[in-house]
Amino acid sequence: MPGLAAPHPAVTLSQPRELRGGWVLPGSHCALGGAMCSREVEAALLRLEETFSASLAHVNTRILQPLLLADPEPWEPRGREHLQLLQQLLRSSQQLRQLTEQSLQSLLKRLHQPRTTGLEALPLLGSADGVLQVHLEYIESYTSCLVAQVFQQVAKGKREHWLAQCRPLQKYLAGMSFEGSVDAVLGQALCQPLAQHLQQYILLLLRLRDTLRKHHPAQELVINAITLYGNLQSFLQQALDQAVATQALGHSLSSRLKDALCTPGHRLLQDSQDIPVTAIPLRAERVLLFDDALVLLKGPNIHSFDLRLVWVHPVQDRCMLRVVTPEDEFSLCVRDPQDLVVWQWKVSQAVCQALRGKKDFPVLGAGPAPSEPPACRSAAYTFRTKGHLCRATYEGEWYSGRPHGKGTLKWPDGRNHVGNFRWGLEHGFGIYLVPKAIEDKFDCYKCHWQEGTMQGYGICEYSSEEVYRGYFQAGLRHGFGVLDSAPQAPQPFRYTGHWAKDQRSGYGIQEDGNSGERYIGMWQADQRNGSGVVVTQAGICYQSTFQADKMVGPGVLLSEDDSLYEGTFTKDLTPEGKGKITFPNGFTLEGWFGSGTGRGLNTQGVLDTAALPPDPSSTCKRQLGVDAFPVESRWPGVYGPFRVFMVAGCPGELQEALLGFHVQRSRVPRRAQDYLRCERSCLEDEAGRMEDALEELLCHREPAALQRYLQKALNSTWHPLGKLLRTLMLTFQATYGGFGANKHLQGMAQGEVKQHARELWAAYRGLLRVALQRKGQALEEEPEDAETRDLQVHRLMLPLVLPSFYSELFTLYLLLHEPEDALYSQGIASLSLFPDSKLLEFLDVHKHLWPLKDLRLTSNQRSSLVRDRCFLSATECLQKIITTVDPREKLEVLEKTYGEIEATVSRVLGREHKLPMDDLLPLLIYVVSRARIQHLGAEIHLIRDMMDPVHTGGLYDFLLTALESCYEHIQKGGMRLRRLPGHWDLRDLS
Amino acid sequence: RMAIRELKVCLLGDTGVGKSSIVCRFVQDHFDHNISPTIGASFMTKTVPCGNELHKFLIWDTAGQERFHSLAPMYYRGSAAAVIVYDITKQDSFHTLKKWVKELKEHGPENIVMAIAGNKCDLSDIREVPLKDAKDYAESIGAIVVETSAKNAINIEELFQGISRQIPPLDPHEKGNNGVICMHGGKPPSQAHRCC
Repeated sequence: MPGLAAPHPAVTLSQPRELRGGWVLPGSHCALGGAMCSREVEAALLRLEETFSASLAHVNTRILQPLLLADPEPWEPRGREHLQLLQQLLRSSQQLRQLTEQSLQSLLKRLHQPRTTGLEALPLLGSADGVLQVHLEYIESYTSCLVAQVFQQVAKGKREHWLAQCRPLQKYLAGMSFEGSVDAVLGQALCQPLAQHLQQYILLLLRLRDTLRKHHPAQELVINAITLYGNLQSFLQQALDQAVATQALGHSLSSRLKDALCTPGHRLLQDSQDIPVTAIPLRAERVLLFDDALVLLKGPNIHSFDLRLVWVHPVQDRCMLRVVTPEDEFSLCVRDPQDLVVWQWKVSQAVCQALRGKKDFPVLGAGPAPSEPPACRSAAYTFRTKGHLCRATYEGEWYSGRPHGKGTLKWPDGRNHVGNFRWGLEHGFGIYLVPKAIEDKFDCYKCHWQEGTMQGYGICEYSSEEVYRGYFQAGLRHGFGVLDSAPQAPQPFRYTGHWAKDQRSGYGIQEDGNSGERYIGMWQADQRNGSGVVVTQAGICYQSTFQADKMVGPGVLLSEDDSLYEGTFTKDLTPEGKGKITFPNGFTLEGWFGSGTGRGLNTQGVLDTAALPPDPSSTCKRQLGVDAFPVESRWPGVYGPFRVFMVAGCPGELQEALLGFHVQRSRVPRRAQDYLRCERSCLEDEAGRMEDALEELLCHREPAALQRYLQKALNSTWHPLGKLLRTLMLTFQATYGGFGANKHLQGMAQGEVKQHARELWAAYRGLLRVALQRKGQALEEEPEDAETRDLQVHRLMLPLVLPSFYSELFTLYLLLHEPEDALYSQGIASLSLFPDSKLLEFLDVHKHLWPLKDLRLTSNQRSSLVRDRCFLSATECLQKIITTVDPREKLEVLEKTYGEIEATVSRVLGREHKLPMDDLLPLLIYVVSRARIQHLGAEIHLIRDMMDPVHTGGLYDFLLTALESCYEHIQKGGMRLRRLPGHWDLRDLS
Repeated sequence: RMAIRELKVCLLGDTGVGKSSIVCRFVQDHFDHNISPTIGASFMTKTVPCGNELHKFLIWDTAGQERFHSLAPMYYRGSAAAVIVYDITKQDSFHTLKKWVKELKEHGPENIVMAIAGNKCDLSDIREVPLKDAKDYAESIGAIVVETSAKNAINIEELFQGISRQIPPLDPHEKGNNGVICMHGGKPPSQAHRCC
């Protein structure tokens, strides 16, 4: 057959080799058994390999290659598939022969040089895995051909030709039958050599084992090889059985079903026709278990379930198996409990194998007890129906038929969710992308989900480049949130406030990026509605009532020159209708206003020029919004989630959803590819960390330790208290910070700071309660009495909280007390011209109290001209008042200043001296004027507002009042100077 | 347990009439065991029993110089009582007193208790203000009046007892009005005193 010599250029082992007689030991000798020496067994092995190799070569040349050439260019798909399967089989067969040749070579080498070549050099002993792999591949490709009925198709109608081809193989294949169909004969010819070879191998290996001494180094190798070949034998048998069953299945199916189910990759493992089982409630006629799918047949329909996503649970006390798949659940019922065991076992094994992606080796039953398939799996699946998941592909972790764990959902319309799932729904943190009509634009939600909807804190970057940071409920913006417009938007804005059902609703602040105008007030359905205060960058400030984004009814308008208008006015801030203007000098104009035809203001009214100067508290110092927005109900959206968190017992895993992301303070600029990255730092063990925090809380309850703990907690970006404070700072800056800072908001601001201190104290108490509950204890003094609470709030919490709000708050005080502070500065400036002794004299300080000893003079100085020497210690002490923001510490500075004055006086007098106010006040004025503290008026008022009310009437109140009276006195000096015309002479004043 | 009421008292009067001497004398025999912090002779406290209450006087001195008069409202705001002192040897000081009374009536806290102290009664031989004038005047304005000597400790206690008696007893359900702060037992703040 010259034409068949080399059907394929890659085929090198196409010619059968003649047996090498010299080394052949007589077969009869082998059969004798008994005590063969190791050499003899190896010789027998050699012969066996030679026979196998030869038979493989013959099979190749006489059967496989001709089979391949039977229809080398098939036009129908099935033919192409068959050709591929045959090519695969040829490759496997060649590998098998190569391996056999290798084994042959090493056996030969060993026979020649037994000393240098150990037993482990034999591939069948030394590289068992490789041997196994080659065998498994051959078995796989062979059975695939069987299932696809390749031989039957190719050899159709040419029986005699193929039988003739097979006949010479008889020499190698004992017991080969030529009866039956041609495909059966061909099948035998391709399988029999391997089966026989395995069997004889095992026998020889057993003998080899017996020849080896007990502790021979190769002993274990040989035993392993015996097991391996034994297992291979049963594997082959099983594979053949499955292949035959799969092939046979075709006979009982319609050709359409057969084409769908009997594919070369498929193997039938169990058929409900063999062990009856019915599927409820699907009423399938037949249940088929394949190695990759569970198939239910119902009429012409095939329900196929990927085994990787099939979970089976036996139903207690009933002959029933519950089958759970991503979209269907059904039961398999059997009559006989024994059958149930078989089905359950087979399905479980098949699921395990499908998950591993390969068949069990050793085969079922050969290994240890079968393992249960894992409940948690990782797989991809495209949903057909099932609500919002319809047509979405989920790839990720599953649990009992449902997405559970981490995963990715992709919808065909481009939507995409990456995150955590629970029981089939988005739950926990997730990133959700919604593509927009414009190319490459997405709405990107990075937020927390609960049972399939956005719930809790999140960040949404809209395709419009607007960014929302805040809370969601049922997928909509709800609660507190900040919305920033696109940076380049024509009407840039930032809204900081409350939301309901995706719309601005409740108390909120919106700042217009262009005009700088800031609306502080109530909203409804995205419109200004209710009380509102508007602050403009020009310094105008008004309070009015809004309805559907429009001002209605009268309001209060305060202009930057401190004139006041009460009445109705237009949105251009022009009085219109009934109203009253109060001018800074006290004149009032009351009547009807109108813009008239020309420019300017038309009015009909009464101008009162006899009125007294207006009450500052109703004009220049008027505070807006305090009553309209009660401080207790101003920020429920910020405190609310914290309360929910505490009521839930501070679950660590909910912390982020309820209190916002953990943001590490880093100033790394964002890059384009960071688009999907979230500004949050993931924490591995949230629950554990929360537990530690609560534990720590319990260890720090004594005042000093508590103060340290709170300080740390409030500064932490992770701690619940720190997070709450940071959100409050955000709202505070939005309301009072920046260019919109207006003196008429000082009242709101200071009330808010105190309220925040109260709420943070309540928050601390809440955490403490939870921490104690976890230990099975209750909080003592519950509820806390109002007095203790106020004390803790003012003494402990306020000083800790104040620094976070101080710069905005102090700015408001500065603005509010600007005119007085200006006068005071003038007073200070004029007093600083006086030499020390002149100033003491000017202030009527008794001569005997003058600390002239402190004046150390150089030769060219005169005591009367020295400045800034007397009471230096007190002056320097007082200057420290601006080094702290804590009102209590400021008061302590004041007390020390007093101590310094008294110490200086006592030193001068040479005895202890208690200063009455008649002496103290002038000295204090002296010290204050020398300390030259800027904005003292703002300082004093801030201290007084933030002072613990328990001090009212007490020592600190007295000291502060004394300081305030000095301030006033110096201011009056400044005022007097202002009235002095032109240059003034020091002598006039002294 | 006795309730402690804090009573802010301000001292008014010309410089040199002995305002702070009266308070120094009053405070000298301390009822308290722990000495309260003071600011020289300018701010002092003393607690005295009155009925079933304790009255803690928080006494604020003021500067008597004419040029500081305008600062006085800052000191007397929120006061429960004012002690207005004149020197019986100086008619001018009695004149100033009248001015203070007038101002308090106009700008002072409502219901402020006024107590007039004619100091330096040990110098009655050089007296310029007759006791009767003071008494008549006090009666006309509904004030307590007493002649005192800080030097000889005459009528000092009586002066403050008089004030205590004039303070309306506390409505148990109401706290702190008219500059009166009360502590119902409970947790006293750090500088409040427990009764003994």
